[in-house]
Amino acid sequence: MTPGRAAFSRSIVVQPDASQLREIRRFVEAVAADATLDAERTFDLKVAVSEACANAVEHSGSSCSPLSVKAACRGRRLVIEVCDRGGFRLPNTANGFQRDHRGLGLPLMVALMDEVRITKLSGGGTKVTLSVTIPTPVLC
Amino acid sequence: MELSTSQLAGIPVIRIRGEIDHGNASTLSTAIDDVLDADQHVVLLDVTQVDYMDSGGISVLLSALRRLRERGWLGIINPNTNVRRLIQIVGLALDSSFRVFDDDAAAEQALRETART
Repeated sequence: MTPGRAAFSRSIVVQPDASQLREIRRFVEAVAADATLDAERTFDLKVAVSEACANAVEHSGSSCSPLSVKAACRGRRLVIEVCDRGGFRLPNTANGFQRDHRGLGLPLMVALMDEVRITKLSGGGTKVTLSVTIPTPVLC
Repeated sequence: MELSTSQLAGIPVIRIRGEIDHGNASTLSTAIDDVLDADQHVVLLDVTQVDYMDSGGISVLLSALRRLRERGWLGIINPNTNVRRLIQIVGLALDSSFRVFDDDAAAEQALRETART
């Protein structure tokens, strides 16, 4: 079993602040490399995760509840979960790509990922689950 | 993200280096506003050295387009394949006031054509 093909699970926890997006992207790059994603899919994943996190940051308000990003590689899928403990909110939605500051995040996530799920967490908070198919199945 | 400015056929070009995201997009927005406030009809962004952009950056482009629509255009120079793809996905590539150039020479030619009309 080569290291790049082993199933793995990893996470980081950051403060809900836009200045943390850079650190989150470095995390996603490392995970994508281990999942053997190519440069294009790595870019897609970085954008999608950033959109999910930016949305959580925007809705966190004065709350300092941390934002967690978990990555797990199973079978043919790399799954990333972005969880915040603010109140539940739907990501800003729009009719397709509305020509506005807001509303781009969710359509971009959907356009770039193979699957997007938004879950209301019990006890408050939101989980956005992003999945991409990986080129080489990992060994579980 | 680092910004610098140079001139192309008398028009300021904002040259961007690094990553444009929700955390730093306002810096770029301010730089573009400075160009627009100087009553320029064209905004040019050199994104040759931009390796990452998300909707934070796209929002800045959309804001600039809104301000420019009646009087000119927004051009970006040499986006990498990922940034180019993002621009297509959000439909910016279809906007008649938005232009993508492969290099400075192509942008300069468009500037000269704009100056003649």
